Amino acid sequence: MAETEAAADGQEPAPCEEGSELAAVIGATVPTGFELAAAEEVQEKLGSASRISRDRGKIYFEVPAGSLPQVHRLRSVDNLFVVVQEFKDYQFKASKEDALKDLEELVKNLPWSSPLKVWELNNSLKKKKSKRKKPNVQPAASRETLREEGEEEGSDPKGTSGEEDSAHNSASVELTSDQDTGETKAAEAQNGEEKEGDPEQSDSKDELQEGSESVAKAGEAQPSEGGTKVLKFRVTCNRAGDKHSFTSNEAARDFGGAVQEHFQWKADMTDFDVEVLLNIHNNEVVVGIALTEESLHRRNITHFGPTTLRSTLAYGMLRLCDPQPTDIIVDPMCGTGAIPIEGATEWPSCYHIAGDNNPQAVKRAANNICSLLKRQESKESSSAPGIPLDIIQWDICNLPLRTGCVDIIVSDMPFGKRIGSKKKNWDLYPACLMEMGRICVPGTGRAVLLTQDKKCFAKALSRMGHIWRKGQTVWVNVGGLHAAVYLLRRTWEQAEERRSFW
Amino acid sequence: MTPLGHRPTSGSDATAAAGAGGSAGAAMKLLTHNLLTSHVRGLQPGGGFPLQIQASSVRVRSVPFNAAFVARMVPRLRWAALLEAAESLGHASELPPEPSPGYEGDEDFLRRLHHLLLEVEVLEGSLQCPASGRRFPIARGIPNMLLSEEEA
Repeated sequence: MAETEAAADGQEPAPCEEGSELAAVIGATVPTGFELAAAEEVQEKLGSASRISRDRGKIYFEVPAGSLPQVHRLRSVDNLFVVVQEFKDYQFKASKEDALKDLEELVKNLPWSSPLKVWELNNSLKKKKSKRKKPNVQPAASRETLREEGEEEGSDPKGTSGEEDSAHNSASVELTSDQDTGETKAAEAQNGEEKEGDPEQSDSKDELQEGSESVAKAGEAQPSEGGTKVLKFRVTCNRAGDKHSFTSNEAARDFGGAVQEHFQWKADMTDFDVEVLLNIHNNEVVVGIALTEESLHRRNITHFGPTTLRSTLAYGMLRLCDPQPTDIIVDPMCGTGAIPIEGATEWPSCYHIAGDNNPQAVKRAANNICSLLKRQESKESSSAPGIPLDIIQWDICNLPLRTGCVDIIVSDMPFGKRIGSKKKNWDLYPACLMEMGRICVPGTGRAVLLTQDKKCFAKALSRMGHIWRKGQTVWVNVGGLHAAVYLLRRTWEQAEERRSFW
Repeated sequence: MTPLGHRPTSGSDATAAAGAGGSAGAAMKLLTHNLLTSHVRGLQPGGGFPLQIQASSVRVRSVPFNAAFVARMVPRLRWAALLEAAESLGHASELPPEPSPGYEGDEDFLRRLHHLLLEVEVLEGSLQCPASGRRFPIARGIPNMLLSEEEA
């Protein structure tokens, strides 16, 4: 890997390189709408201030490279990259040819060496953490969709990429966070993503947003005779804006060509060591190198259901209700348990209760908790301590909980598109809000609810003014759908003990 | 499964369940039980509380002790219900009839309470509504509180 330096002639010396600690400007993708929450988490856990980009769903912050392990443990972050260079106001030439040529010219003048050092450091972190060899992770494009897990623990053999490619083992080791599980997780995670039907993307609406790119040459890399390995790379371009004369495919292709020439790396779309990111958002251009191989957002879930919420979104929602130690937090429609599991992990001094009426959901949630406990177990190498979380099978419209005993309700409410139907939401939402109001502590209680059926929700809420006050609303993107997260505050009015039926 | 009624289950259940424990993740804790109430139709307010525990399989799983957490929970608990639940699982002697003043600083008390609230888990059994007699099963640590159409 040292040969990356050989090609880096005439580079401007990277800042903070010799003599002082290597610093990195990190870019992080976060669920849109939760940029502020992510910035807060970065401030709390890393002590760094963040910039929130105009390209929604991204924040930038600077940390010493030694903090990388903590960076990977951030809960609000989907993907991480190290910034090579940012151009706040890049002037694109009018013609496609000229614009692309400019991008190509850019490559040799970019300050690659520090970011590449960070990338190397990041790789060695991954190696340290990996407990056993993992199979190569196939990118989403080539993966089969995951079928419903149903009763089985095992994963679809076609879904996991079973081959061990020993020559590239180190580079394709799956990024492990503290929460990581075994081999199938990566495959399942990607498969889960596929199943949603919409790839997790930045919000920019434009064609060819995926820009998953194609540098024309895609040779299989072999370790060279001398024993030093030639790096393999790909370029991923995300482009948004209506004034560009080129597509993301074209940009990726030409930029990639220049990268190949500059570094003499080999291009490989599926089995790469270095993923170069070219993010273009109107006149903002950011060149980066990916530090995560797959999104962190599925980390807690090994058993997916049809509508599993990403952990990063669950985290953002929980932060929004500002849980205090000893708060009792309930998710009455927990599905596979994404929210309560994230809650119990990050807020262990609160008490979490998960419930659902669907037996499959309850089973999956229980299995996910089991997996979580097992992961914690192998770390400590003793039997895992319990977590402050219980599961109950119940009906949201008639909760078996005492009146006024719950501090926080956090839930992903049925959207009507995947579970149930819009018509059912019409009846369900008022009933939910009523029951939630009953079990919630008057005055100090709050609820954070995610829904795509905003009209139905607004109507249901309008009749509940005596119980719920609307606080902040965060607009989010869930699997391509525009949804909203509503923060509600419980009024001081006491709820009736006896439930009324409607 | 045959509920054992109100007779306290023997303490050996805890260790005996260690084998079964591996198969379940979370299992009903007494803190949760303290919040649960029966919701069968037609009950007087408060008539469904507390649910009576009949446990056939119990396990003990250690949870890191957090004194502040336990202390803050005390005012939120229905103490009599907790005592009754503890007794039905064979742990009656561990708690005083009321939390005594100054309990916040009494580490011994807090540790015993912590143990009962968070470390004793019911894997199999049932919860019985004190007013209607309706039983809600607990299987693999998960209570099923769904009512049938007629009951709701």
